[in-house]
Amino acid sequence: MLTFFVIIPVVIAVFLFVFSGARSARIIAMAFQTALTGFAFYLFMLSRTETVYTQIGGYDGFLGIILRADNLAAVFILLSTVIVMVVTLYCINSDNTRTFWFLLFLLEASLIGLFLSRDFFNIFVLVEVSTVVVTILLMYNRLRRNMYAGLLFLMVNIVVMQFFLFGIGYIYMLTGTLDMDGVAVAIAGMDQSSVALPYALIMTAAASKCSLLPLLTWQPKVNSMPGSPTSITAIVSGLHIKSGIYIFIRFQNVFGDFAARDFFLIIGIITGLVGVILALSQKNIRLILAYSTIAQIGLIMVGLNMDYTYYYAYYGSLFHVVNHALLKSALFMGAGVIIKLYGTMDIDKIRGLWHTHKPAAIATALAIMGIMGAPFFNGSVSKYFMMREVSGLLEWAIILLNLGTILIFLKYATIFFGKPEEGTIRKIHTDWCKMTAIMFFGVASFILGIFGEQFKNFVFNLEVHIEALSYLEKVGIFALSLALGMALTKYIPKDAKLFTRIRDMDLGFREICASLGIFFAVVLVFVGFIR
Amino acid sequence: MNLFPDVFAIILFFISVFGLLTSRNIIKSIIFILLMQTAVIMFWIFLSSRFGQIPPIINDPALLYDMTYIADPFPQALMLTAIIIGISVTAICITMLNTLFRRHKTVEWKALAQCAREEAVQRNNDI
Repeated sequence: MLTFFVIIPVVIAVFLFVFSGARSARIIAMAFQTALTGFAFYLFMLSRTETVYTQIGGYDGFLGIILRADNLAAVFILLSTVIVMVVTLYCINSDNTRTFWFLLFLLEASLIGLFLSRDFFNIFVLVEVSTVVVTILLMYNRLRRNMYAGLLFLMVNIVVMQFFLFGIGYIYMLTGTLDMDGVAVAIAGMDQSSVALPYALIMTAAASKCSLLPLLTWQPKVNSMPGSPTSITAIVSGLHIKSGIYIFIRFQNVFGDFAARDFFLIIGIITGLVGVILALSQKNIRLILAYSTIAQIGLIMVGLNMDYTYYYAYYGSLFHVVNHALLKSALFMGAGVIIKLYGTMDIDKIRGLWHTHKPAAIATALAIMGIMGAPFFNGSVSKYFMMREVSGLLEWAIILLNLGTILIFLKYATIFFGKPEEGTIRKIHTDWCKMTAIMFFGVASFILGIFGEQFKNFVFNLEVHIEALSYLEKVGIFALSLALGMALTKYIPKDAKLFTRIRDMDLGFREICASLGIFFAVVLVFVGFIR
Repeated sequence: MNLFPDVFAIILFFISVFGLLTSRNIIKSIIFILLMQTAVIMFWIFLSSRFGQIPPIINDPALLYDMTYIADPFPQALMLTAIIIGISVTAICITMLNTLFRRHKTVEWKALAQCAREEAVQRNNDI
């Protein structure tokens, strides 16, 4: 049964490639995608009680390839089908070529396959497929102009996957199996020194897929974004990075006690802070959003890598992954409408959105409040759970990261006020498809905020509750951070020299490979010798 | 001496990582990536069989009692897939490089980065 989840998007992709001219073909594809979303929901309901699995080929035990959908995988699959469905709705009336539709659904198929597989080599193949598909999608619109960035992105990701393949070879040599559960059982009985090298190799690859620092492998991708259409950036920033987080979670669980959680905790904090600084220094609205994704990923890493006893923080992070995917997609799609409306991507030139285009403004406002952590929005629920049990230095680090996010989005919110300059507004016609798509995410985040506790318990099969007193305390912290943020924005000059230098910074291939090598060496030393 | 092939593959892998750090030419980088893939594939193949092992086609059931005589077919099957993936992505990289060369007449990283930056400045004026 689980093979259908991978096959149906491929069939839709081929169907759209053949019949892409007719509008009815896209409507049929949309219907199939909606059916797939329903099917994913059904799988999710099944997976809450027991793991669904399909043995391909009928072998039993650890032989053969097994597709397993436990709760975490089913949540990610549901998230990806929902996001692809809404993005399809957004693009259904624009004239995108057949290549776009074909690649979009191939990307969905490879991501769903990735979420279902529990086999290291399967993950390798599917990550390579999704890398190639994302490269072509990112270069899509201005093919020749973005080719340098596309080449850089592709080559860096190939190097990263070679590290991964080498690590898998070591794992096979040590344990004799490539199935994740088998490897986890075998590693639990081994001594640490032999596992250090494969751990370093595999986690270098996983960390760079999540775009943790110092592996800015996503930086050229981010720089090539000004050429690609907004729906693609919504999918890549909303969904593709989440696949990196997914494989990171799985690999940490395979290595069990050997996993260097405290190391990645610190890396997460550093990533968050640097992401905030990078986001504040950009002028292009899409780059601001893309770098703020990196900051949020840092925050998610912090929650994921806290001690196992911090049960709330782990599930708070997972909930934040879901929230962030929805909110970032909302912001990117709103940004697409804004760019068409104003004809520019420069944040200094966009003003007065509230009066010009109400639906995009409302959706963007809801998403901004969600991601800042305003009460009654979903961001606050997930951040509440992340912060609930921590104390001391870690709590201050999280508060600092939240303050950074507030600063970024206060800067972004300057597009609402003021008056637009004369003659900059183009008359565009946004049809109901785009409106629905944008409003869907905005409203969804509001609803998820109000019913946050119930939703989270339902999705992750938990029994956690929000205590009123500590929630109010977090609301108080949010209000204070907001006030502090508004005060700080007066003092941050728009064209500080640091910001200009950051904007001009350009990492070449050699520097990125050097950072990969250094990260690998640091992880190896940390796991092999220090612990 | 049984450790020797694995160590050789590791050394080749890190030589190619070092080579990636120091090549100014994109074609050299692509060749080092191919070398890196070859090192990894060699590592896997060395896992699967040693000198003196027989192929896993059993005619005499008595041989099944001592598995160390039989080569392991599993890594070889996986490496077929890995070789194919490596070739196809290398082909994509070379195609992209060809397009870039036709446009800018250079295959050096620094020069191409410079050209891309100049185009980005022009690009900021139109959507």
